[in-house]
Amino acid sequence: MHDAQPAVHHHTAPEGFIRKYVFSVDHKVIGLQYYGLALVAVFVGMVLSWLMRLHLGWATLAIPGLHLLSSAGAPGNVMTPEYYLSLMTMHGTIMVFFVLTNAPLAGFGNYFLPIQVGAADMAFPRMNMMSFWVTFTAFIVLMLSFFVGDGPPLSGWTAYATLSSVGGASGPGEATGQTFWAISIALFCIGQLLGSLNFISTTLDLRTKGMTLARLPLSTWAWFVTSCIGLLAFADLLPACILLILDRSFGTSFFNPAGMVLNGEVAKYSGGSPLLWQHLFWFFGHPEVYIAIIPAFGIVSHILAASARKPLLGGTRVLIGCMIALAFLSYVVWGHHMFLSGLNPFSAILFSVPTLIITIPATIAVLMWIGTVYGARLRFNTACLFCLGFISVFVSGGISGFFLAQPSIDIYLHATYFVVAHFHFVMAVAAIFGIFAGTYFWMPKMIGRMMNETLGKWHFWLTFVGVYCIFMPMHYLGLAGNVRRYAAFTDNFLVPLIPVHKFITIAALFTGAAQFIFLFNLFYTRFWGPKAPDNPWEATSLEWSTTSPPPFDNFGGRQMVVNHGAYEYGVEGPKDYIMQTDPVKVAGD
Amino acid sequence: MSSEREPSMKVYVGLWVVMILIVALEILVTYRHMPTDLFVGLILILAFLEAGIGVMYFMHMKFESPNLFWTLVPITIFVLVMLDQIWPDALRLARMNLFR
Amino acid sequence: MSESGAGAHAVIMEASPFGLQSKKLVIWLFIASDAITFGALLFGYSYLRLGSLDWSYPFEGSSILNGFIMTVILLTSSLTMLAAVMAAKRDNKGQCLRWIGFTILLGTIFAVLHLREWFHMFGEGWALYKNPLGGSPIFAAGFFGITGLHLLHVISGVIALSILAIRYNNGALDKTYVETTGLYWHFVDLVWMFVFPIVYLMNAAVR
Repeated sequence: MHDAQPAVHHHTAPEGFIRKYVFSVDHKVIGLQYYGLALVAVFVGMVLSWLMRLHLGWATLAIPGLHLLSSAGAPGNVMTPEYYLSLMTMHGTIMVFFVLTNAPLAGFGNYFLPIQVGAADMAFPRMNMMSFWVTFTAFIVLMLSFFVGDGPPLSGWTAYATLSSVGGASGPGEATGQTFWAISIALFCIGQLLGSLNFISTTLDLRTKGMTLARLPLSTWAWFVTSCIGLLAFADLLPACILLILDRSFGTSFFNPAGMVLNGEVAKYSGGSPLLWQHLFWFFGHPEVYIAIIPAFGIVSHILAASARKPLLGGTRVLIGCMIALAFLSYVVWGHHMFLSGLNPFSAILFSVPTLIITIPATIAVLMWIGTVYGARLRFNTACLFCLGFISVFVSGGISGFFLAQPSIDIYLHATYFVVAHFHFVMAVAAIFGIFAGTYFWMPKMIGRMMNETLGKWHFWLTFVGVYCIFMPMHYLGLAGNVRRYAAFTDNFLVPLIPVHKFITIAALFTGAAQFIFLFNLFYTRFWGPKAPDNPWEATSLEWSTTSPPPFDNFGGRQMVVNHGAYEYGVEGPKDYIMQTDPVKVAGD
Repeated sequence: MSSEREPSMKVYVGLWVVMILIVALEILVTYRHMPTDLFVGLILILAFLEAGIGVMYFMHMKFESPNLFWTLVPITIFVLVMLDQIWPDALRLARMNLFR
Repeated sequence: MSESGAGAHAVIMEASPFGLQSKKLVIWLFIASDAITFGALLFGYSYLRLGSLDWSYPFEGSSILNGFIMTVILLTSSLTMLAAVMAAKRDNKGQCLRWIGFTILLGTIFAVLHLREWFHMFGEGWALYKNPLGGSPIFAAGFFGITGLHLLHVISGVIALSILAIRYNNGALDKTYVETTGLYWHFVDLVWMFVFPIVYLMNAAVR
């Protein structure tokens, strides 16, 4: 028996509703399940952001029905400051973990990675199913904190000790809510680990004949690199959460120093360090934000080549190199979140320099995309528009990163709205645009129907203008000294800024409303959209060599043979593209 | 493919003896009086030596494709070494005397 | 080029760059990830210890001897596991199962010795959050936390080996599973090679 034989599971098509749609081992179903989970999560997170923004613009506003969500947190429907922080914590946690780590990686990755490598399924289909249900359980546990116990935690998605590590004494939501949070995140780590194992082994072992690593599409490379980062980054968050639970529920002092006075009494903790939590958390946290954005890099590259009808500038190798460089460097820069934490100033320099260096591969990637689009006759479908929008918002967010990377400037800007603007641009907007681009591009393949282009274009323009209206003014707010994570602005230097907040809130509500166009488009397409052909975008990668949607084993039992790289666009002849499976010989294959 | 170059059981028993000796050496080092830095350094070197034998021989890494070694081991060590950046802060706490 | 013979039709695939079966690759990846988990814990423990002004050094000669015996037992269990893997490669099922049995026995003895030590310490007043010597409670939390996580890995390893033995015996699992489970067991031993010096030796009473 050949020692290098990969494990291939041949299973017949499942019967019955439960096996087909609930506990399915089919990577396509699992991908859609992840996507569906992310869709629910993003709407919950968005509603939370509306509640937050309403409160920020109008601090004494009574929001109808809020007391039903929490009678302690919103007596008379007016949000307490503590409840504002709780909503903010949940907004951040849900968005970063259950939307940005789920949809582009687990959602699209699960659906398309096996197809793009030419395999019939992932390497370990049952483990794949387990990874989704563990993630789903994590989401349920997190949501439970709203309704059970003393409400959701209020320490932010970063859950800094000692606010998060002393239990109920530090505020509402810290008794049971924070424990739910820690358990949910620990479960999430395990789900991600299982997913990463699958992605890596499938990419390396299940590529079909002719699909060398160099011929893989950039979306696959992005999922592969992201899984490598995730494998090692989530491994650091898991012990951090375990230590947090030990501190909270078992009286240990990993993060709690001596001499704390809680509720008028000196607490019995001794020997711990809040800085340790920050180190452990951000050592995970910085790679995490690259986990959120690199799949979008892959998706955008993949779509732009098809829209521009040109191979990517620099070929796939430059962009792969950029992604790998980002992956390595992401482990060296986490201290830039900690410049004001009491960190050794010498360490601050050690973190600041790589942070500035990390902008280089990101910039090269942006230049490659711009160079690809330059001089091209773009097909301006919605997916392409979202890719161009991605470049715009990513650059906008990246520029503010330059300022924050320098400790001397960060002393002033840390924990202000400048930071909020930065990370929302690069994560919330850019990564979400990547998800939208992927949706408009791949939905015809996934559900077999074309999405409505007119609605898509409305969705794009309203969202694009909307996010700039929301997040651009935040830079100004930050520079003016507007501190983040405040529930209301009563200091005399903050009161003049409230009109800006009101503008942002109105913009946020409008942009949120625009997302219902997308939701409507999705549902309309699902039931009444026109049938999609196999290759509506005239694209080259393997997913377009099969039906829409693909059959149970992806290729209908055919042996796929790959002869070209993934971006043979702009060729001479009757078709301006060559599919990866096309047997025609091209120079430089 | 890999089984042809596999050593015999005798070699493994020999390595097992070596590993026990390394542990004994670690204990010896513990009971000798020497500056703490030297002690910690020696202990860690011995631990890595033991781990190296374990990974390369007992876990067969030596007989796998070199690709596997050069991918997994440097990356894991790189990630662990990156965590080394936390040490200046550990000492700061003791010297600042604000936390006990 | 490698072929998969399973199923009605053989699928031709590109060779894996590591020349490994997927499940072996996946165990290695899991080991790398778990190494980071234990690494983060050991780093955290050392970080707090470095910053501590009242660390304890409670391990007398008897504790160190006990630890040495536990280390030898775990190392021996790695050797017996290796013998099991070699027997499985030669398709000698009977021998393989015997060696797996020895490994399970040694792993169980390790766990028993460890728990005996824990209960002895509980008897002296130690707890997850309590240090009866009056020194830093981080000592206790770190000790029980790290050795506890390791013990969890040992126990789950013993369970996994038991399941492996049963299913290898009745033919549900083939010899490749012996190797992958063996890799996990060796990893558990590998972690102990770092835990013993850092958590025991560095806290010997003689320091």
